[in-house]
Amino acid sequence: MPTITIFKQDLEGLLAGPGEAPQPITMEQLEESLMLVKGELKGQNPDTGELRIELQDSNRPDLWCCEGIARQIRVKRQGALARYDFLTTTSKSPKRLNVAPGLEKVRPYVAACTATGYRVTQEGLAQLIQTQEKLAEMFGRKRRIVSIGLYRLAAIEFPVTYDLVKPDEVTFTPLGMDTVMTLGEMLLVHPKGLEFGGILAGQDRLPFLRDAKHQALSFPPIINSREVGEVRVGDDAVFVEVTGTDLSMVVLTLNIFATNLADRGAVIEPIEIRYPYKTAFGKAVMTPQDLGKSRKIPVSTIERALGQALGTHEVAKALTAYGYEVTTRGNEVKVTLPLYRQDLMHAMDVVEDVAISRGYSDFLPVMPTQFTVGGLSRIEEVSDRLRALMVGMGFQEIISNILGSPKDLRDAMRLEGTERGELVEVDNVMSQNFSALRQWMLPSLLRVEAASNRAFYPHRMFEAGEVARPDPTKSLGSRTVMVLGGMIAHADAHFSEIHSCLDTLFYYVNQAYSLEPVQHPSFLAGRVGAIVSDGKQIGVIGELHPEVLERWQIGVPAVAFEIDLTELAGC
Amino acid sequence: MDISSLIDSLHPLEVKVLSTFGANPSAVLQTEQLAQSTGLEPSQLSMAVEWLLAKSLLTVDTETVTPIVSLTTTGELYFEKYSPIERVLSAARDAAKTGKRLTIQDIQSREGLEPSEVSGAIGRLKKEGALLIIQGGCIESTGRSSQTAESMRGLLQQLHGAPRELQAFSEAQRQVIQDHAVKRGNAREPFRIDDRVARALKLSITGIEAAQQLSRQGTAEEVSQLTPELLKDGSWRTKRFRKYTISLRAPRIAPGKRHPYREFLDTVKTKLVSMGFQEMRGSLVETEFWNMDALFMPQFHPARDIHDVYFVKKPTHASSIAEPFLSRVTQAHQDGGETGSTGWSYPFDAERARRLVLRSQGTAVSAHMLAAQPAVPGKYFSIARCFRYDQVDATHATDFFQVEGIVLGEDINFRTLLGLLNLFAREVAQAKEVKFLPAYFPFTEPSVELHVRHPKLGWMELGGAGLFRPEVTIPLGVTVPVIAWGLGLDRMAMVALGIHDIRELFTDNLDLIRSTRGAF
Repeated sequence: MPTITIFKQDLEGLLAGPGEAPQPITMEQLEESLMLVKGELKGQNPDTGELRIELQDSNRPDLWCCEGIARQIRVKRQGALARYDFLTTTSKSPKRLNVAPGLEKVRPYVAACTATGYRVTQEGLAQLIQTQEKLAEMFGRKRRIVSIGLYRLAAIEFPVTYDLVKPDEVTFTPLGMDTVMTLGEMLLVHPKGLEFGGILAGQDRLPFLRDAKHQALSFPPIINSREVGEVRVGDDAVFVEVTGTDLSMVVLTLNIFATNLADRGAVIEPIEIRYPYKTAFGKAVMTPQDLGKSRKIPVSTIERALGQALGTHEVAKALTAYGYEVTTRGNEVKVTLPLYRQDLMHAMDVVEDVAISRGYSDFLPVMPTQFTVGGLSRIEEVSDRLRALMVGMGFQEIISNILGSPKDLRDAMRLEGTERGELVEVDNVMSQNFSALRQWMLPSLLRVEAASNRAFYPHRMFEAGEVARPDPTKSLGSRTVMVLGGMIAHADAHFSEIHSCLDTLFYYVNQAYSLEPVQHPSFLAGRVGAIVSDGKQIGVIGELHPEVLERWQIGVPAVAFEIDLTELAGC
Repeated sequence: MDISSLIDSLHPLEVKVLSTFGANPSAVLQTEQLAQSTGLEPSQLSMAVEWLLAKSLLTVDTETVTPIVSLTTTGELYFEKYSPIERVLSAARDAAKTGKRLTIQDIQSREGLEPSEVSGAIGRLKKEGALLIIQGGCIESTGRSSQTAESMRGLLQQLHGAPRELQAFSEAQRQVIQDHAVKRGNAREPFRIDDRVARALKLSITGIEAAQQLSRQGTAEEVSQLTPELLKDGSWRTKRFRKYTISLRAPRIAPGKRHPYREFLDTVKTKLVSMGFQEMRGSLVETEFWNMDALFMPQFHPARDIHDVYFVKKPTHASSIAEPFLSRVTQAHQDGGETGSTGWSYPFDAERARRLVLRSQGTAVSAHMLAAQPAVPGKYFSIARCFRYDQVDATHATDFFQVEGIVLGEDINFRTLLGLLNLFAREVAQAKEVKFLPAYFPFTEPSVELHVRHPKLGWMELGGAGLFRPEVTIPLGVTVPVIAWGLGLDRMAMVALGIHDIRELFTDNLDLIRSTRGAF
């Protein structure tokens, strides 16, 4: 989840509100307060006041900025959220943004507002840009669902049009370039066009934002115009627009920007969006807009989930101090989320907010008292018993990665083209070294042997663990099997030495077995046997083939066995 | 060192030598006498004498050096096949009888001698007047005798297998011996002269005390090893056992033992079982359905990206997802279904749900358990291998263990969740101080992060937990509240094992595995 950079002095200013003296906050208070936003301080620079904070909650994009963090702390300190009047004061003749027909098939939704009266500071601008990036990247899924544009309001004449044009129909100079080009050219040469062009793949007409004078504002979601699409320090009038494919996410994103700017002292003026097609909010949509649906929750639901009797009043108080609008009626609270949040899916979400608002330390831990019987799975018990026997016979236990390479698991074992060489392989390979699940254990032991020719001999080692075997009869296409592999390596390592160990294991698990001749390319012919028990082949034992040792660059003979514990245990 | 501990430290050979003096501590004994009365091999005796001299228990009274002559292997060879000088002279005499001309090359090839041996012999014979070298590289017998050649046979016979004192030979013989003795730079000679040092030895004052003490102790033989024979016939009663220098470093062995990280996980496993948890197991390959959908992670969730999860190449999809879970989970995602939730409001892709991945979180095992009619009340855990699409470095492994589980019960709520975490803190990390921080996991609400103060390791994050969202439990058929918990134990294990790189948990270095010991 996002890690953002904020400045302590900026936070202190926002804690107080515009025009007020900053409210100092100590680092201890800050760390305590970060619990309210599920934030963790990752780093700080006391000289510059820079703080690096990681925000955990992927459903709370409003918290991914200094304004949002400050707001959550401020609400808690003040006990309730101050109302944002731009939601209620409606202008008789609002500015308008017209949407062109056809966009419903390309990038259907837009939301916009203006913010005036706040002179953009260095820190404020840095936050605006960071919020724009984080929201578009993580909440907007790399601009696909949501992207954001900020403009200098002074140069724009309303109504603005969210238009749909052919790739070569209009031209403007994009940010980061100094020549005029068509939208099609931007997709081909502009870095942002190359990075985000995929969002518009297959479209023969492209989104285009322009003002009443046909001045280009931007090519959403790719790039803004260099002329009006770059807000600078000192500007005191800003136009914000959000476009995207999910109406409520688009509106929520604009709501976050509007509250952020309002918190810095800007006057927000809503804009009316006029669609030529139907939307869930109608054809004329005022943005920002309060999306909050209220929800009634019995206090008992909250109390039962928390394990604590609080009473309606305390519940209402905690939620109000967390930014909710709350009304109570008997043993029920009616809650509405503030406009910058939209993450209420279930009553349990409210339960957590009650707990966070009151502080987790407010809840006394209680031990669950109901009696349960503990125990291990059968396969784990069998594995533990065999591990103890292997240790008793002088074997060192190994733990290895289960992900390996086909080269080690198959090729170096001389299993190319054989059934024993079939693997569960990874589709999105990052490194060949980790591109297949091991189908047997011996390569894991050989890996250790190959790296340990300086460890004093003899080497006796084993590993009990899981492997994955392709199996077309299973829904998953493979089976997870627990196996035990044991290996002895030294200058005189000999079949009978490992055979004795295997024999001992079977004696103590009280199970009969026999060795039957078998063809296995990993072992020397005539010195390899299938381990057969209860009429089933459940393993193999033998002297490793010299070519296998050579492929692993091992300089001493090695003898080994492998048993399928899942079969042995009858699991 | 007092006398008795000095005696205790003596080797049986030393005791034997000292005891020889027993009867007459002030005697001066020749080495031969000692050899005779102790019955020791010369090498053993000389070892014992040197040790006693070094310990100043014995001193040298007088020392006589006797040169001893013996045959070298070359000498023994000459004894059998005649020496070059004998063979050259005899060849020259045979030639004289038959009147044939004899060249040096002839001798060399006929006798199979080295050029240096032939030229040495000819030189000596010429000097003694027994040979002449004539024109054309031929040699001719003068008929006169050679002192060396004559003596050589006698000396070889006398010394064959029996070294003798140099003084036992006549002056002329001694000259021949010395001329043909092994010296530096001339190893191929028949004779060797060694100095035999004959010492007359006597006990020092401490030696006398030790000898007297030994004779008082009786004649108990000292042995180094208790043997089955000694036990069988009871003769160990008449022996003394040499004491060892026990401060010496022990020889190293490689024991059979558990892997240190596994030992740590075994401890955790035992703790969990003792707290009433039942083990669950799962599959390394999972469907996206059980790995994520069932955990109410929306299909557009960033953690489901190809940059976070490994997808299986073949087959790409499971053949089916069990009902009614597929339909119920689909509903929960789309509009909440029966769960009281609004859901994520997007069209659920059932095809995507069948996509096969490598299990990326242990919670997938818990999801299966929820669907398998778990016991209520019930406690479950798994130590599951999980896989993440991560660049491997000191803090990221692509393949790791997750210790995870669930607790079901009518009495489960936020406070019992905290109580359970307290229990983990105490039992798993021996921590008395804990902090509970709000956290976010897609499948729990409320969610908690558990931080503990480990007595040795300080404050650290021990795990995360929460109450499973009803969107998780209800579609899987569970109607009681459920705690989902996970412990992040790798860091604790790393500190306990003294390692700083997560890759070392699965190291291929046998020496490291053999030598690492845990501190848990």
